Amino acid sequence: MSQQLNPASLSQTAEGTSQPADFASRMEGERSRGKGRKDRVVLKVDNLRIHYATPQGDVIAVSDISFKLYEGETLGLVGESGCGKSTTAYGILQLVQPPGYIVNGSIEVDGTEVLDLEEEELRKFRWTGLSLIPQGAMNSLNPTMRVKDQIIDVIEAHEGKQSDKEALRERIFGLFQNVGLPNRIYNMYPHELSGGMKQRVCIAMGVALHPTAVIADEATSALDVVVQRIVAQTLIKVKDEIGVSLIVIGHDMGLLAQIVDRIAVMYAGKMVEIAPVENVYAQPLHPYTQLLIDSIPSIKERKPLKITEGITHDPRNPPSGCIFRLRCPFAWGHCAEVEPRQIMVEDLHEVACHLYDEQFHERRANALATIANS
Amino acid sequence: MGGISLNYLLRRLLVFFLTLWVAATLIFIIPRLAPGDPIAAMVARLSYQAGFVENADLIIEGWKERFGLNDPVYVQYLRFMTGLLGGDLGYSMARFPSTVTELVGRALPWTIGLVGISTFIFFVVGNLCGALLAWARTPRLVKVLIPMSMIFTSIPPLLAGLLLSYTFAFLLGWFPQTYSYGFGLTPGLTLEFIASVIHHGILPAMAIVIVTFGYWALGMRGMMVTIEGEDYMILAQAKGLKPFYVLYRYMIRNAILPQMTALAVSIGTLVNGVVLVEVIFNYNGMGTLIVTALREQDFGLIQGTSFILIVTSALAVLIIDLSYPLIDPRISLEGR
Amino acid sequence: MAEDKMVQDAPVAGGTKKAGVLNRFDNPWLNWKFLGGAGILGLLFFIIFLGYQFWDTDLALSARAPLNLPPIGFENWRGQTGVPEHPLGTENSGRDMLALWIVGTPRTVFVGVIAATVGMLAGIVLGFMAGFLGGLFDDVIRLAVDIAITIPSLLVLIVIQAVLGRVDLLTMALLISLFSWATPTRYIRAQVLSMRESGYVQMARLSGVPVRDIMFKEIMPNLLPYLSASYIGNMQGAIISAVGLEVLGFGPQRIPSLGVAIFFSIEAGALFRNMWWWWGIPTVTLSVVFIALLLINLGLDEIANPRLRKAN
Repeated sequence: MSQQLNPASLSQTAEGTSQPADFASRMEGERSRGKGRKDRVVLKVDNLRIHYATPQGDVIAVSDISFKLYEGETLGLVGESGCGKSTTAYGILQLVQPPGYIVNGSIEVDGTEVLDLEEEELRKFRWTGLSLIPQGAMNSLNPTMRVKDQIIDVIEAHEGKQSDKEALRERIFGLFQNVGLPNRIYNMYPHELSGGMKQRVCIAMGVALHPTAVIADEATSALDVVVQRIVAQTLIKVKDEIGVSLIVIGHDMGLLAQIVDRIAVMYAGKMVEIAPVENVYAQPLHPYTQLLIDSIPSIKERKPLKITEGITHDPRNPPSGCIFRLRCPFAWGHCAEVEPRQIMVEDLHEVACHLYDEQFHERRANALATIANS
Repeated sequence: MGGISLNYLLRRLLVFFLTLWVAATLIFIIPRLAPGDPIAAMVARLSYQAGFVENADLIIEGWKERFGLNDPVYVQYLRFMTGLLGGDLGYSMARFPSTVTELVGRALPWTIGLVGISTFIFFVVGNLCGALLAWARTPRLVKVLIPMSMIFTSIPPLLAGLLLSYTFAFLLGWFPQTYSYGFGLTPGLTLEFIASVIHHGILPAMAIVIVTFGYWALGMRGMMVTIEGEDYMILAQAKGLKPFYVLYRYMIRNAILPQMTALAVSIGTLVNGVVLVEVIFNYNGMGTLIVTALREQDFGLIQGTSFILIVTSALAVLIIDLSYPLIDPRISLEGR
Repeated sequence: MAEDKMVQDAPVAGGTKKAGVLNRFDNPWLNWKFLGGAGILGLLFFIIFLGYQFWDTDLALSARAPLNLPPIGFENWRGQTGVPEHPLGTENSGRDMLALWIVGTPRTVFVGVIAATVGMLAGIVLGFMAGFLGGLFDDVIRLAVDIAITIPSLLVLIVIQAVLGRVDLLTMALLISLFSWATPTRYIRAQVLSMRESGYVQMARLSGVPVRDIMFKEIMPNLLPYLSASYIGNMQGAIISAVGLEVLGFGPQRIPSLGVAIFFSIEAGALFRNMWWWWGIPTVTLSVVFIALLLINLGLDEIANPRLRKAN
C-alpha cells in the first residue's frame, strides 16, 4: 500500500515516482496533443467569486479562483460533487442562476472583459466567444424543435437570417460529419435520438460558430461507459479539427487523464492545484490531489477508499486559513491562521498548500517521514 | 412531425362515441327513473298553469301512444337511439309543428359563435398574460397590472354577466341589454347586421372572458416557471438567442401543450357558463332555448337541446385532442 | 471536538445582504393568499353569525316587509327612500334583504360543501384505485373520467331537475356531487401516479411495506396540499353549479338562497327597474366568496409547489 500517499510525490523531484505505470502509458498513447501552445492566453479568470444566497447567509460556491486557458489547450476541471466546478463554468459563461450571483472577479476572453459587457453585447458574445456543451444532454435540447432548427437558431441569432438554405443545410451536414452523426437526424426531434446522439448534437451545436473556447460540463457523465468514450474521443477530435480551446468538467479522473492537457483540481470552491496532466498523476502535490488520485479505482488491486476521511465544513462558514485543513493529514497551526496562496512549483504547475512554501521545508520533510513510516 | 398514431386516434374516438352514448342513455333514462309518469306530470303541470285540462286521461293516453310510451322500455330505447342517429330529435311539445332539430338548428350557431370567440380570446389573452407574468424581462408595471386585471377570476360567468349588463348596458347604455342582434334586422351578410351582432356579442363574450382568462394566465405562469428550470433554457441562454425568440420558441411553445390539454378538459365547464350567460343576456342561443323549454315544460326540447350541446362539447374536445399531437411531436410516438 | 470549535470560530462569510430571499424559506403555510382567503371567509361567516344573533331571520320569508324598498341612503323608482328597519332594502315579495342575505349565504355555501365533500371522497377512492392498482381499474376509471369531464354537467342536471321539479338544498347538493367526482379523480390519479414512481415510494414497496401503509403513510401526507387545493376547486365548481341551477329556477322557493334571489330578481326584471340591491347584494356576496376560495386555492397551490413560491 505504499503507493497510496506517495512520499516521493511530496519531494518535488520528478524522479522516483512510483505511480501505476498504466496511467502514464495510456496517457501517452491516447491523449490528443501535447500541451496547448502556451504563448497565447484565450481565457483569463481572476479572483472569481460566486455565492448562493440563503437565509442563513451566503454559501460560498466558488472562492477567488484564478486560472488561464491557453490557445488550443484542453483543461480539465475536477473535484467531488459540490466543489463548485460546474458553478465556475456557469460563472465564466455568465449563466449563474439565482439565487447564485457573482460577487467579484474578472473573466477575460481574448482580452475582452466579459463581466463588463452590456446586455446586447453579452448576447452577441455568447456562443461566439464561449460555448457550452451541457451536462446531461438528455434535457438540454428543446423537445419541440427539430435538431436542425436548434442548430439553425444559434447560427441565425449570431449571423443573421440565412438566405441560402442549401448552404445552411450543407453547413449543418458538415457539423454532423465532424461529430459522426448521420444526416438523417437533420429533421428529427430530440426524443427520437439516443443519449449519445443527443450529446453529439450538443457538441455539433457547441462548435457551430467556431467559438474561442468551449466548456463541456460533465458532457459524458450520463452516458454508459462505451458511449462515454466515443463521445469523449469525438469531443477531442472536433476540438482539434476546429482548433478551439476546451475546458472539460468532470469527476472521472481516468477519463479526463486521457483527453486533457492540464488538470485543475477544486476543493470546496477553491482551486487547490493546477498542473499538466502528467504531473498530476505522477506527482500530485496538494494533499487533496493525492487523495483524489488514490481514489481512482484500479482493476489490478482493491484499495480502501481514502477520500471519506475527515469532516467537511459548513459552506456558509468556511474554516479560517486553508479550506482543506479539516481533512488534511498534515495540517498544523499555521494552516488555521493563514490562507495558502498559489505557489508556482514548476512551469504551468501551481499548488495552494503551505507545505510548498519554502519556509516550511522541514515540515514537508517530516510529513514525508510520517507517510514513509505508516 | 409524427402525425397521429392509430392507437391514440382510436382511444379518442372511443371516448367521443362513448360520451355520446352515455349522454343519450342518461337523457333517455332520467325521465323514466323519476317517480310517476313524466307525461302525466307534464299534463298535470300544464293543467296547473292553464287552470284545467279537459279530458286529461285521453290526452295522456294520446301522448303516450304518440311517444310510444306503451311499448317495452328496450323498444323505446332502441327507437330513441335510432332516432338520434338519424338526427331526429322528435317534436317540440310546446311549439308542436316545429321539430327540435329545427329549433336547435337556429340556436346552435349563435352558441358556437359565442363559445368559439370567447374561447379564442381568453385562451390567447390568458396565456399571453401568464407568459408575461413569468417572463423575467416583462416590465414591472405590466407585472403589476396583469394580476389586477384578474380580479374577476373564478366568479361564475353568470354573475359577471349580471354586473356587466347592469354597468355597461343599463347604466352606461353602451351596449344592448338583450338578444344577439338588433330588432328589425334581417340576418344576412350585410355590414349593418354584422356590426349589430358584434355589438350585441361583446358583453356576453366579455362576461366569459373576464372570469376565465385569469385561470389560463395562472396555469401558463405555472408552466413557464417549470420550464424556466429546464436544462434547455440554460442552453438557450448560453446560445445568445434573442430574448423574444427564447420566449416564444422555447418557453411558450413548450408551455402551451399542457394548456391545450387543460382546454379540452375545461370545455364542459365552459359550456355550463355560456348557457347561463345566454340566459342573462337573453341571447338567442342554446342556453336561452333550454330556459324557454323549461318554462314551457317542453320536455322533448330540453332533452334535444341538452343532447346536441353535449355532442357539440364532445366534438370540440375531440378536435382539440386530435390537434395537439400536431403541435407536440412527442405525443404521437408515445401513443398516450 | 476541536474541529467543531474551529468551524464555529471561522468568520461568517456572506451575511444576509439579500434579505428579500429570506421569506420564501419561511413556513409555507404563512402564505398571504391562503391566509387572506381564509380570513375573508372567516370574517363573512362571523358577520353572518352576528346576523343570526341580532337580526330577525324570519324577515327572509315573503310578505314580512314593505315591497321594493331600496337600501338606506338610496331611492327607488317610486321615490321611496330606505328605512332603518330594512337597511339593505326589500324585494318585490316583501323579503328583507339583510335577513335574506344572512340566511341565504350559508345555504349557498352549504350546497358547495356537501357536493364538494361527496365528490372529493369519491375522487380520492377512485383516484387512488386508478393510480395505485392500475390495470383494468385504471383503464375503466380513466375512461369514465374522460367521459364525465366532457359532458357539461349543467345540461344533465337541467334534465334531471326538469323531471324532479324544485328540490331541497340537500338533494340539489347530492345531484351536483354526481358530477363533481371526475375532476378530483383525474387530478389525484395523476398525482398518485407521479408519486408512485418517486424514489421513496419505490423504496417502501421494495422493503415490503403494505400497500395500505404506503397509501396512507407515504403518499397521503404529501398529497395533502394538493387534495386541499382540489377540494377548494371542487367547492367552487359545486357552488357555480348550484347557483346556475338556482338562477334557472330550480332552488328552494320558500327560504331563498342567494342564487334563488337572483332568479327572482331576473324574473321580476330587477335589471330593468334598477333594483340593483336585489340581484347586486347576492352577486357581490357570491363574488367575495369565490374570490376568497380562489385565494385559498392559489395559496394552497403555492404551498404544494415551492417553485411557484419562488416565482413571486
